Amino acid sequence: MQTRSSETLLRRTFLLGTLGGTSLGLISLASRRAAAAEVTLLETGSTLLYPLFNLWVPKYTAMHPGVRITTQGTGSGTGIAQAISGVAQIGASDAYMSTAQLKKNPGILNIPLAISAQTVNYNVPGLNNANLKLSGPVLAGIYSGKITHWNDAAIAKINPGVSLPNHGITPIHRTDGSGDTFIFTQYLSFSTPEWANNVGYGTTISWPPVQGGIGAIGNPGMLQACGQTPGSIAYIGVSFHEQIAKAGLGTAMLQNRAGNFVVPNPTTVGAAAAALEGKTPPDQRISLIFAPGENSYPIINYEYAIVNSKQASPDVAAAVRSFLNWAVDPAAGNAPEFLGPVQFLPLPEKIAALSKAQIAKIR
Amino acid sequence: MRKSPFRIGLVGLAGIIPGMLIAVVLFLAIYSWPAIHFNGIGFLFRETWNLGNLYADPVTRRGVQVPIGAQYGILVFIIGTLATSAIALLIAVPVSLGVAIFLAEGAPPHLRPALSLIVELLAVVPSVVYGLWGVAVLVPLIAHYIAPALDSMLGFIPFFAGGSPTGFGLLSSSLVLTLMVVPIITATIYSALLQVPRPDKEAAYALGAMKFEVAVRAMLPMVRGSIVGAIILGLGRALGETMAVLMVSGGAINYLPGTITSPISTMASFIVSQLDSAEQDPTGMAVRSLAEIALVLFIITVIVNVIARLITKGLHVGLASRA
Repeated sequence: MQTRSSETLLRRTFLLGTLGGTSLGLISLASRRAAAAEVTLLETGSTLLYPLFNLWVPKYTAMHPGVRITTQGTGSGTGIAQAISGVAQIGASDAYMSTAQLKKNPGILNIPLAISAQTVNYNVPGLNNANLKLSGPVLAGIYSGKITHWNDAAIAKINPGVSLPNHGITPIHRTDGSGDTFIFTQYLSFSTPEWANNVGYGTTISWPPVQGGIGAIGNPGMLQACGQTPGSIAYIGVSFHEQIAKAGLGTAMLQNRAGNFVVPNPTTVGAAAAALEGKTPPDQRISLIFAPGENSYPIINYEYAIVNSKQASPDVAAAVRSFLNWAVDPAAGNAPEFLGPVQFLPLPEKIAALSKAQIAKIR
Repeated sequence: MRKSPFRIGLVGLAGIIPGMLIAVVLFLAIYSWPAIHFNGIGFLFRETWNLGNLYADPVTRRGVQVPIGAQYGILVFIIGTLATSAIALLIAVPVSLGVAIFLAEGAPPHLRPALSLIVELLAVVPSVVYGLWGVAVLVPLIAHYIAPALDSMLGFIPFFAGGSPTGFGLLSSSLVLTLMVVPIITATIYSALLQVPRPDKEAAYALGAMKFEVAVRAMLPMVRGSIVGAIILGLGRALGETMAVLMVSGGAINYLPGTITSPISTMASFIVSQLDSAEQDPTGMAVRSLAEIALVLFIITVIVNVIARLITKGLHVGLASRA
């Protein structure tokens, strides 16, 4: 029979041995991983751009095995903030940075990757198959609480012959820092002087108090809240058009600068892009909202990658440049096989060239 | 008395916790000081939260740089936090008392461990899960059944009238908080009830009391202090709960809730949803104002705790003087 002390000694040695062996094994596994010299990139931000990144990343990483890219849909505000702080290498945003923000953070690039659009969707029983006509002033009235029911005179005036129900309107907006809010409120500001003076635009604004108005998080949250709430209206990115159709929501025809009501489709979005692409400055920060033209769709925008021109290491910078160049290439990332499912438009040649010039600055 | 290294080490380790608390409060106070100075006392009473025009140049007001039109007010969030916690406790306390009494007295003794384990498991469920359940199940339930029922039964009271087109709002947040708070209160009261000495219970039975009367008239008064402590624990969780409330509250901004189904925002959920927008502010005043919200939330929690301790002390003194 062994004495108690030698029993304990044996048990302790066995335990310590197992622990030591396991930790050595784990450490060697981890170091083998690190020795493979993989570059990991984090992309975070716009939920409008998120579905496209999820199409890009698997294809790209299959062709480039040394790079791992993680995607997140967290809102354009987060994308900009994390690109500035360095947590994310690529921040996705539907909104460009303000001049004051650029002054505070010099060296951040706003690089367009594609042209996207936004739809205004509603859930009105009986009218979800028709395309209700809505204008900027009417939308401003809805979101500021002046228009409270669907059969309001202002809505009836631009929809002659449509029988509108006496149902309350629930306006749904984004609570998180959102590029969708930015482009939607820019449309309201550019088309309605009263909104521009009292509320303004931004990735987040002080929404006028509307009793019952809902805040949702992310495009998926907007979609779900609108689908669940009869009488609601929401602004949702066009990359969610399939889910919008599945949820049975109606898509509004919006009034453009020329006064015509247009549906969002590649023709109308392309018309708006063509009208304003010539005015794009070298730093590519420009609003494409409320473009002139008979057939232009009023809510379109460049999808930006917010990238710090100074990256953590030359390897990371090279990986970021390689990915972004692939993304804006019309034969690769900007090809119809990727942009088609999300209903984005490819960058015009001149804009793609400007993007490539900015990408080259990433070191 | 020699200060042994053991004693010094113990005191040091024990001091980490109050040290961390003080560090957090100091950090919040120092970081939000420019915002406290800019916002003044009106911060607590203003309904409007406006980050201002982040795309124009900042201006200087009251000696600090802020965006044009910036005005910070958190009355909406204070009311949201207090209302959700109050309604949650209003529902949770009677339910928890009932469950605790059932567990201690009414349940068959061989089932007691299993039943109390189930209650404690509810406390372990992550709050995000409650939030997901709330969005998927509770919110449509409120929109289609509960809100219309409240409207038809209690519609003469304006607070309950109107129904709810979405289901997101004060009622859904309060119900989710109730679910999260009940296990905490129940477990605390249950373990206190188990401590009640047998002779006292038997004395009550000897006087002819029924089971229910023994529990309510004889046992509960003896654990009054623990009941108050349990309520405070539950209130603490309800005040600080972020994720679950964020998902079902409806994210209201700039208006106060008018009915029980109105959308609301709480201080904690607002900080989460606004942080990244606030970081767009080049002057930094928005983030400091969010830190000020955190400081206010902390102060409210401390005040609630102090009141609870005073009540508990008063109860103990009352009991002691009677004995």
